[in-house]
Amino acid sequence: MSKLLKVFLIASFAVASFSAKAVTVASWGGAYTESQQKAYADTWSDPSSVQFENYNGGLGEVRAQVESGNVTWDLVDVLPSDAITGCDEGLFEDITSEISSMGIAGPDGESIAEDMENNGLEYHSGWDCCVPQIFWTYVVFYDPDAFPGEKPDSMADFFDVEKFPGKRGIHTWATGVIEKAMVADGVKPTAVPTVLANQTGAIDRAFEVMDRIKDHVVFWSSGSKPLELVSSGEVVMAIAYNGRVGAANLAEGENFEYIWEGQVLDQEYLCLTAGAPNRDAALDFMMHASSPASQAEQAKYITYGPMRASGIPIIENNEPWGPGGVNIMPHMPNTPERLKVSIVSDPQWWSDYGAEINERYSAWMGN
Amino acid sequence: MPIGDMLLRSVDDGQINTVFPRTFEEYKKWDREKDELPPEIVYRTLFEELATGEKIQVGRALTRMNYSKSGWKSLIKKTSREIKKMTKKGEIPESYKDTLIQINKDWGDPTFWYSMAQMLNTKTPIYYWNAIDRTYDQDQNVIMQDEKRRIYVQTWLKTLKVSVYVTFFCLILGFPVAHLLANLPLRYSNLLMIFVLLPFWTSLLVRTTAWIVMLQQKGVINGVLVWLGILSDDGRIQMVYNETGTLIAMTQILLPFMILPLYSVMRVIPKSHMRAAQNLGAKPATAFLRVYLPQTIPGMSAGGLLVFVLAIGYFITPELVGGKDGKLIGSWIAYHLKTTLNWGLCAALGAILLGVMLIFYWLYNKIVGIDNIKLG
Repeated sequence: MSKLLKVFLIASFAVASFSAKAVTVASWGGAYTESQQKAYADTWSDPSSVQFENYNGGLGEVRAQVESGNVTWDLVDVLPSDAITGCDEGLFEDITSEISSMGIAGPDGESIAEDMENNGLEYHSGWDCCVPQIFWTYVVFYDPDAFPGEKPDSMADFFDVEKFPGKRGIHTWATGVIEKAMVADGVKPTAVPTVLANQTGAIDRAFEVMDRIKDHVVFWSSGSKPLELVSSGEVVMAIAYNGRVGAANLAEGENFEYIWEGQVLDQEYLCLTAGAPNRDAALDFMMHASSPASQAEQAKYITYGPMRASGIPIIENNEPWGPGGVNIMPHMPNTPERLKVSIVSDPQWWSDYGAEINERYSAWMGN
Repeated sequence: MPIGDMLLRSVDDGQINTVFPRTFEEYKKWDREKDELPPEIVYRTLFEELATGEKIQVGRALTRMNYSKSGWKSLIKKTSREIKKMTKKGEIPESYKDTLIQINKDWGDPTFWYSMAQMLNTKTPIYYWNAIDRTYDQDQNVIMQDEKRRIYVQTWLKTLKVSVYVTFFCLILGFPVAHLLANLPLRYSNLLMIFVLLPFWTSLLVRTTAWIVMLQQKGVINGVLVWLGILSDDGRIQMVYNETGTLIAMTQILLPFMILPLYSVMRVIPKSHMRAAQNLGAKPATAFLRVYLPQTIPGMSAGGLLVFVLAIGYFITPELVGGKDGKLIGSWIAYHLKTTLNWGLCAALGAILLGVMLIFYWLYNKIVGIDNIKLG
């Protein structure tokens, strides 16, 4: 055997045995995964054994891994509706007892669940298999230079192309858009989930409001797009993930304004895959990642808010919390006064009606 | 094997039938003419099967039930929780029907019960019907999907249209380029070949993004046209985030798949054929049409088939540059695979896609003959 081949074989064996020990975390990539690396992995007892892999969301790969019995991801970073479905279907392991025994309590002894309830969340079955990460939001933002006179400051303005002419940037799926349209129609933001769930015809109302701007929309499907659309002047306002806008303001010297009214808060969870190869280490890592301190730490690197209420005072009391002496709280989506004008998206409702509404949304988009 | 598995999945409805076998059995006896709601026994079997059902099996079943009617997920989950509480306490309801309706009023809503008609058989064509905007009514008659949700037929047509157009444009643009490459002296043609291959090797996302920069309203092309005074500043053309953008970007991205087979076929056509034809009195156009063109057919068909097959399953580029028109059938397959986990519908869409391709292949074989295909 040639020497080169031997070296190659040994090297590949070394890599294989190394990765067998690692806790593999599937996450969304980019700045978000970087913030997880810094805030969770680098502060953990064994940083080098955490390995992040990029994926594009959804439970397709997880289900394929679990069904085939060939599980390679220990932990998966998911949206709440996927946390619910994954837990219901047994793709994620039910770790209710582990979460209550191993979860890191807040300063006053709050459990993870209590801490989330203090942040205005309600129990759903995703909580049985997953630990909380961050709040992120669908928020409308604009470049103030595009509006020399009066500036838009409400959802009614976003859906009014006569008062504020120009194109709008909107994503190609329904979550977030429907809720914002309800606010533009005069529903109090905090009441939107209840109205959507209980009032017949609520969805029709939302679509009627969306019709007002339909001919003035540029649709986007990847998270960096709305930033490009607004800074190039292609659109005057756009819906975006607030972390992207925060990063543009903090790191790239942009001066974008947010319209916090009608922002749609969504949750993010870390879940344990059923049959995870490194279950024990993964459990330990999850508990570390969901501690109030880790969650506050993450806000340093990306402007998403802690899902545990006790993470917020850590930031508030230590401002300037951001790198380079920047105050982070002005960019946090879940401050008490912003929560008053926000919608907390209802994952159970979306998990029930998401497929149907997205089909209707696509039909609306295409016609 | 994977294809067989896909075809099986597209008609399989076995899992749910292992969770609610007795309920379904009793349900079939329900006389809908006579009673608005199913009889007590159906409520009872459902109650019992939820009380004894394994959590994960019920969980998988309700993902499936939700495809038939939105709302099943919450309804079953809330009900299950209450039933578990009752059985723990050892309570046995007097009337199962009243108890369930009391737990959740949706149990008194016949539309939920009607949608159960879609789940009764272990093998079902429902996913194929869904894939062309059809569904079942309560008597398992095939009816059109609610008007607001009809998207698949339209998407199928759009996908076919885009694929045919892209193939056509690739042929129109690729033919002269391949001809030039094949007839230049080797040192020039190699240099030019690099211009074909370089984009071919460049990442798809980079090329897609580059097209956005070129085509958008505040982009390079519009900018130049406005600067030249051809367009007014308000009259900028919308060339991207619509079907035009999809066609332009996809044509450029798939062009090498047309040029390369064409080139390799043209390369070996002896130049003497054209000269001989002209010597014998043919005009250049006639010589080209009657002597040269027929010899390139194997290359055109190989390129055409390649481009068409690639285009029909394309979805990343259309999603990025297509805006509201950007969802082709591939996007929906990916969406159901990842987000709704409706793998039955996925498999049905995939099987139809496969069928469409086979039809085109058959047509192609009839018209051109499959032995005529040549990649080099």
